[in-house]
Amino acid sequence: MIELESVNKIYNRGQPNEVQALYDVNLVIEANSMVCLRGASGSGKSTLLSIIGCILPPTSGRAAVAGKQLARLPDRFMTIHRRRTIGFIFQQFNILPDLSVQENISLPLLPLGVSPKERRIRAKVLIERLGISHRQDFPAGQISGGELQRVAIARALINDQPIILADEPTAHLDTKLSQEFLQTMVDLKKTGKTIIIASHDPLVTENPAIDRIIDITDGRVDVS
Amino acid sequence: MNPALEKHLNLLDYALSSLWRRKLKNLGIITVFAGVIFLVASFQILTSSLTSTAETMLAKTPEIVIQKMSAGRQESIPLSYLNRLDGVFGIRAAVPRIWGYYFDETSGANYTVMGVERKAMPEGRRLEMAIEGSYPEAGQGGAALGREVAANMKLAGRRTFSLFRPDLSLKTFRITGIFAESTDLLTADLLVTGLDDARDLFTIPDSLATDLLVYVTNPNEISTIAKKIAARLPDTRVLTRPQILKTYKVVFGWRSGFASICLLAALAAFAILAWDKASGLSAEEKREIGILKVLGWQTTDILTLRFWESLAVAGLAFLIGCTTAYLHVLFLEGSLFRPVLLGWSVIHPSLKILPVFAAGDVLLIFTLSVLPYLAATVIPAWRCSTISPDAAIK
Amino acid sequence: MFLSAWSLSLVLCSIVVLFLMANAARTGVRVLRYWDQASDSNLQISLENETWLASTLIEFALAVQGLSLLLFILAADSYSQVIAGAMCATGSLLANEFGLPTLYLKLAGFFLYGFWILLHQIDIRSEVYPLVRVKYLYLLLLLPFILADILFQTLYIANLDPDIITSCCAVVFSDATGEGGNLLGSLPQDLMLWLYYGTIVVLLGLALLMNNRIPGLMLAGKKVQSILSFLYAMGWLWFFGLALAVITAVISSYIYAMPFHRCPFCIIKQDYCYIGLAIYFTLICGTFFGISTALAELLARRPELAGPVRQYRKIAIDLSLILLIILAVLSSYHYLLYMITGGES
Repeated sequence: MIELESVNKIYNRGQPNEVQALYDVNLVIEANSMVCLRGASGSGKSTLLSIIGCILPPTSGRAAVAGKQLARLPDRFMTIHRRRTIGFIFQQFNILPDLSVQENISLPLLPLGVSPKERRIRAKVLIERLGISHRQDFPAGQISGGELQRVAIARALINDQPIILADEPTAHLDTKLSQEFLQTMVDLKKTGKTIIIASHDPLVTENPAIDRIIDITDGRVDVS
Repeated sequence: MNPALEKHLNLLDYALSSLWRRKLKNLGIITVFAGVIFLVASFQILTSSLTSTAETMLAKTPEIVIQKMSAGRQESIPLSYLNRLDGVFGIRAAVPRIWGYYFDETSGANYTVMGVERKAMPEGRRLEMAIEGSYPEAGQGGAALGREVAANMKLAGRRTFSLFRPDLSLKTFRITGIFAESTDLLTADLLVTGLDDARDLFTIPDSLATDLLVYVTNPNEISTIAKKIAARLPDTRVLTRPQILKTYKVVFGWRSGFASICLLAALAAFAILAWDKASGLSAEEKREIGILKVLGWQTTDILTLRFWESLAVAGLAFLIGCTTAYLHVLFLEGSLFRPVLLGWSVIHPSLKILPVFAAGDVLLIFTLSVLPYLAATVIPAWRCSTISPDAAIK
Repeated sequence: MFLSAWSLSLVLCSIVVLFLMANAARTGVRVLRYWDQASDSNLQISLENETWLASTLIEFALAVQGLSLLLFILAADSYSQVIAGAMCATGSLLANEFGLPTLYLKLAGFFLYGFWILLHQIDIRSEVYPLVRVKYLYLLLLLPFILADILFQTLYIANLDPDIITSCCAVVFSDATGEGGNLLGSLPQDLMLWLYYGTIVVLLGLALLMNNRIPGLMLAGKKVQSILSFLYAMGWLWFFGLALAVITAVISSYIYAMPFHRCPFCIIKQDYCYIGLAIYFTLICGTFFGISTALAELLARRPELAGPVRQYRKIAIDLSLILLIILAVLSSYHYLLYMITGGES
């Protein structure tokens, strides 16, 4: 599903502020697995996530996500591939507070030309599945942290993307909500999705459902 | 529905809700923009309306006016020239007229004094209808006054007044009527009297007149008849009504153009403002765009979004600006800008203008206002659409 | 005659186009110098971003050019009210030697910008952006053209003198010889109409054939498609010139219901329900799509573009077909109305 071969990433190449974020990364993530990316801030974890998430291309090496080669791919096609393949759950959820819950969830569908009626239907399915029907038309800025988390998950699933990428999802949640989140991820994995969670929270790293932990330190990946 | 069309509708919907979420900032821009459009539109509507009013007013004037020229200047025309017009096919009537300017020292105003026999004119009855009272008959010392002339003379109920002849003797006139308000554009400074009374006032010899008015049967033949007259009377200048109308249009046109140039300064300032506003993205706006991009919105989608936002702002401002301009001309008679178009003189006609707002005018106003705005917001819109998605991830 | 609202708006349009295209050209120069698809450097990313700017600017410029063309004709019409001897736009355009060339340049600009946008749209549908250099070279070649447009327009407006008498359309387009300056010569009406409708039928047939809309007649082979596409494009090019002549010399007089009023511009006026706008819009757009099939055909030779080209060609042929039908209806309406109700043997 995700294959990285000799991937390097250098920012500002050839300039005085040149910095190499990834060194010769080799990585294979199987489909329908649940993987944890563990690394401190500045370790290159965000860069690795960005490459896996089809946001940035590698400087050198091969990177294939869901069968698509990312190197030399223009941004336009990366975006098209990204929206079909990756569902993002951000650290701060990154929900737009002025839009309603339902509007936030169906944001990825607007540029695809999905009609308002169809958008409402698809969002409703996920809203009911995640148990936030009572908040459907509330402004997202007025709901609780736990509900926000579920909105973020619903948004990541709206296009039925096969890969879910979560960046420090439990950083701002209490234990109970963190455990609820992980359970949701496990349930998603059972439906065939590939889950990649970037976290150094022991609640995540020590969870038995995690198939594999990938450690990243100073831009180098240690696959155990 | 076609997905491409649906996509644009979705983006338009999002753009409108985005504008609404930032009400204050956008309201400011819309207000200023509407103000600029109001200025441009007022000028345009006023120009078109005045031209149209002039056209209507001139419709019943004589088709041809013959003036005698000598050394490039106008001089009195011999009445014997009327005989030389016999045989020109298509002339309905040829009427002599005496007119000139009278300077009233007390008020500092110039009156146009005109002497012509109403009964000789084919459309003379219309002149009668334009007067509240009656048209002065031949040789009776009567005069009909324009409203501003009457006001300037400070008559205070008097029915007679006197004017000075060139030898400073006085000639007394009896007021027979006042011209109706609706004719102010042409009659405000006018004093109409009989041919002989005007001749007496200006002491012009019996064999001469100031010019000859020629009425034709078929308006389509004006230029042909004018050419024939010019051939028979080579020392004259033959003016046609279409030419006079063109002169009005040129004057209104260049005055309006001149004013438009001044407005362009306002427009330029506004374009800079628009650029500045569009470029200034708050941290929250940047974050929003980063999120949208991560969620799969392409650069072109963001560009389209910003374009719809600009168009919505421009469209609303355009509607408000044009409507207020129309109302300004309709109810206030364009009083803010009339002096520029009509000039400043002591005698100032009051005017009932019917606003004329043709499709061409709409296009013109659009080009002078909305187009520069959209152009000014293209590059800022692009800058905002190229915000990197990983700005949201960090 | 710069002190007129119309002149100002034309000058403004020119300034806007110059501004847009100059910025687009700046991108063009940078792309031609530094473009490297394989790189992930900041420069390459910012160049990729700039290509979106360039395409947006040119699309905008195209829209403004279309507006400018319309404004130019309306301006010429308004000038006719103050120029001696001119009764409509024809007279204004003939008032000095820069009028007609400006019109032709604006018309051509419409097509040239359109072709750029076509190139761009096809290019971005391939993952390797094969036409990047071609595109931006073409863009740079457009610049002198734009400057010529602006120059001629400025010279035209500057040299307009209300006192110099010009001709009106009745003289210019009449079919009576010897009245000085007859732009179209004495063209036989019947022959022109036969050619006009004949060409329409041929183009319709070709379009239906190429998009496999004729039941029982399927096209096989890329070579056949290719040849037909070129024929179609040539056919449209011929039709464009022919249609302009026919509209001026024949159709317009039926719209005006005056046998000696033959003018290509008066039909745009409100008096005739702006039918001229609809006719010229369908003609110009139809011609664009028709000619662009040949351009697309040239691009189909690259294997990575074959798919997008095929898609575009289908759409272009369908669009040109629809526009041709609408044009035929609009242009024939007054003529047929006269024939059916007026009666002429």
